[in-house]
Amino acid sequence: MITRTNTFSPGAKFIETQGKVTARLTEKYGQDRKVELDKLEEPIIWAKNPADAKLLLKSFMIDPHLKVDYLSDVTAYDNEDKEDGDKRFVLVYNVTSIELHTRIRIKTLIDIDQEAMTISDVFKAANWLEREVFDMYGIKFQGHPNLRRIMMDERFTGFPLRKEYPIKRREPFSNNIPFHLGANPLKVDTHVTENGDKK
Amino acid sequence: MSINTKDEGLTDLYNPNVLINIGPAHPATHGTLRVMCRVNGETIEDAACEIGYLHRGIEKLGEDKTYHQWMVYTDRLNYCSALNNNITYAMTVENLFNLSVTERCMWIRTICMELSRIIDHIVCVAANALDIGAMTAFFYLIHWREEAYTMIESMCGMRLTTTYARIGGMSYDLPDNFTERLWKFCEEFPKTIDEIEGLLNSNRIWIDRTKNVGIISKADALQYSITGPSLRASGIDMDLRRDRPYYFYPDLDFDVVVGSNGDVYERYLVRMEEMRQSVRILKQCNKRIPSGPLWVEDKRVRIPDKIDVYTKMEVLIHHFKIFMEGIDVPKGECFTATEGPNGEIGFYIVSRGGPKAWRMRVKSPSFMMFQAFEATIKGGKIPDVIAHLGSVNIIAGELDR
Repeated sequence: MITRTNTFSPGAKFIETQGKVTARLTEKYGQDRKVELDKLEEPIIWAKNPADAKLLLKSFMIDPHLKVDYLSDVTAYDNEDKEDGDKRFVLVYNVTSIELHTRIRIKTLIDIDQEAMTISDVFKAANWLEREVFDMYGIKFQGHPNLRRIMMDERFTGFPLRKEYPIKRREPFSNNIPFHLGANPLKVDTHVTENGDKK
Repeated sequence: MSINTKDEGLTDLYNPNVLINIGPAHPATHGTLRVMCRVNGETIEDAACEIGYLHRGIEKLGEDKTYHQWMVYTDRLNYCSALNNNITYAMTVENLFNLSVTERCMWIRTICMELSRIIDHIVCVAANALDIGAMTAFFYLIHWREEAYTMIESMCGMRLTTTYARIGGMSYDLPDNFTERLWKFCEEFPKTIDEIEGLLNSNRIWIDRTKNVGIISKADALQYSITGPSLRASGIDMDLRRDRPYYFYPDLDFDVVVGSNGDVYERYLVRMEEMRQSVRILKQCNKRIPSGPLWVEDKRVRIPDKIDVYTKMEVLIHHFKIFMEGIDVPKGECFTATEGPNGEIGFYIVSRGGPKAWRMRVKSPSFMMFQAFEATIKGGKIPDVIAHLGSVNIIAGELDR
């Protein structure tokens, strides 16, 4: 069943475990959720909604057969062509088990005006990753401690990785903005005004 | 809490809320990183990192360029180990094709990945030592980086931004005298590692500056999804080369280096030992590399040889179509990660068919490390920030993408 592509050496121990994890996912969580395999036979489970995705993540962490303890990635992609469902975006959580060396991808559909649940209380690493998703796609995360843009300037308009955003659009800013400090933004009067002049 | 700069002044040393800005153009950040620290006396009480100074929208470009065109952007992610990024990316696209490269290609790729690991670790250790003040280590090590770059130059004609890998093969075969050259490198480079260890390992100043500085605990490392040498220095035994083996890694003899304390000193030790292990792998590769075809004979991805392009009409058309239209990657998605020098570098590609990716996600280790950096420097001193920053090897190109 497992296809051997050049990525994985044949007979690698984790390939067997990966099969077991997929079986467990289908059996325990797959009754009312879709479980798929990607090109590397890694399981993808479709959560019913963003809240369900968080619930799944938490139950994977206490499941003795899955032993998820490591967050690889939180990302999203545009589902503008409605290929994966009728909602606008797909939110992707990529989780790993350090002990079993297996990966599971939790996916969920999310609409443009819908809010996702933050998982930064489960994994601290999700903090910046969710900020990046917000920055690039405009997906808001409920309960996030510091949901600001991360790559782009805070005055930036639009969400660059949405499909309708033109690749050549530029939005230069001539001056810097006051910085934030830590998770609890600290208000500091800077010497520089909006126009870039010294006070 | 708010600080009025006009009344109290940030220069007032008795102010418990002095803000110190490091970067974005600080010599110790080695890239455009910005850290804002709120210090009380000399102790950092709060810190915030700002990123995005080198944001070039590489992920957006991935949706606009064909798969081959985007290869050059992978060089600009972690520019200290461009080869590793090239190969991981090529691997991801090959996985979308369900394509297996030839045996010789796999060995060449393994050599490339290990060479780039050595280069990256050299840059990290040398720059870290330089920041702390040990300039000698820098000069000794950078000499070997130049040697390695010259070797890479002989392989693909470029030193820093290599673009060596192609989907389904490599752009060039190894040059004639490569085996001897690599052998010489493998024989002589470990001597320098010994010398550097002799200089630094029991050096009082080095130990004072690095031991118990910038500790990333085991729990923190897991919480912040730290990968690579920094994760192993924190005592978590994970190496994708062994745990999720790709290519011929299971047949190769090497040890995974694991630390326990997770401080700057251990990250340095882990990196030094990993360089030795890489040399060990390189020696085995050098012995075992087979002759044979470099390219997989698959019409969908095979870039025709130049000599045929110039002499045969059909091949010319094929060549033209590959480069002007791009290759037609089947529908599907996959996430492929390799153990890069800095950690787990992964590409998550969602393909909806056609020559361009629907979603090109780069999972970069530096991003996670810089996030943890913000939290782990609290309670330390300003000079510790410099030591810590050098030891986790944050590369701005990969951080901001």
